[in-house]
Amino acid sequence: MIADDATMARLMALSQTGDRQAYATLLAECQRWLQRFYARRIVQHQIDDLVQDTLLSLHRKLASYDPDRPFLPWLAAIARYRWVDHLRKVYKFDETALEEGFAAENPEPAISARISLDRMFSYLPPAQARAIELVKIEGLTIAEASQACGQSESLVKVNIHRGLKKLATMIEKE
Amino acid sequence: MIFMRTDTHEFIDDLLDDLRPTRPLMLQRSLLIAAGSAALAIGVMALFIGIRPALTAGILDLLFLLASGLFLMLGIAASFTVIDMSRPQVGNTHIGWMWAVAMTALLPLTAIVLGFSQAGNAFLQSQPVQGLNCLTNGSMLGLIVGGALTMWLRRGAPTSPGQAGLLTGIAAGSLGIFAYSLHCPFGDIYHIGLWHSMTVAVSAIAGRVIVPALIRW
Repeated sequence: MIADDATMARLMALSQTGDRQAYATLLAECQRWLQRFYARRIVQHQIDDLVQDTLLSLHRKLASYDPDRPFLPWLAAIARYRWVDHLRKVYKFDETALEEGFAAENPEPAISARISLDRMFSYLPPAQARAIELVKIEGLTIAEASQACGQSESLVKVNIHRGLKKLATMIEKE
Repeated sequence: MIFMRTDTHEFIDDLLDDLRPTRPLMLQRSLLIAAGSAALAIGVMALFIGIRPALTAGILDLLFLLASGLFLMLGIAASFTVIDMSRPQVGNTHIGWMWAVAMTALLPLTAIVLGFSQAGNAFLQSQPVQGLNCLTNGSMLGLIVGGALTMWLRRGAPTSPGQAGLLTGIAAGSLGIFAYSLHCPFGDIYHIGLWHSMTVAVSAIAGRVIVPALIRW
């Protein structure tokens, strides 16, 4: 069971004052939350690296959290930013195994639905979302993705480029 | 601060060892810094260039008040958005500044329309020599505001560095030319619409090009 938003917000406010115990608890909670957040939206063996990258960003950007605001939408913005950055860098991997869903395990499904990565994908045209999923998330080559989705290889590349560009502009979009 | 890629428990221990008390980027403090940098720009202008005598004598004209007010409001709107962008949150929307841009764009549009409709030489009427002074000095004064906002963004976590850079430039140009307009003696629509607006446009382009590399994280 992952802590709720109010608990994490309190832990974060204490962490900003230098409270190590609160920070340790917060980081552990955030690690678990991020594992679920990224599930199904990144190749499984890359999740730990991306979670660490995100925790490092959280650590470096502690000051950007306003204790008067909810915590999870802030964490989700950090996580989305790192995820889009990761998609831009990612290259082909063989494994395509995906974890089970995030929303179903989350204690606050209404919040998770609004801040999820699926939500971002829902704003993309289907062709762009499909091209990104196949190549950047499932790890297919351009040629394999072209066969799988029926788009030409050049169109797959264009859709990935345009889709990633659009995702980068929607980090904070609900 | 270098963190070795290791298992997550060791990684978290490294982060814990590096924890230091941090002052959150609170809205009130950031607004004070933005307002302070704008006041500093006005102070620098008053000290080194001087407020024009008519203004200190209390002689005001309609267009000066309207145009300066528009640039000031645009600067405030853009600064507020930049500050908000330093504190990311899913659900944030940053569109209010666009209305301020649209309203301020009425100044150059009016100058262009009048220039065409009166078949006069609007460019010459805009006092181009003094206009270049406005462009240069307004941009230089804007650096004070732009620098403060960029420093603020570097502490924050803007998720759209390109847009944050553009808005930093708009805020810097608007508040810079607002400060310089307290000196500029030319108050006709051609001069203000072309040269004062151009200061904002040039600063916006500079901000869009330069700032993102400084604030990316």
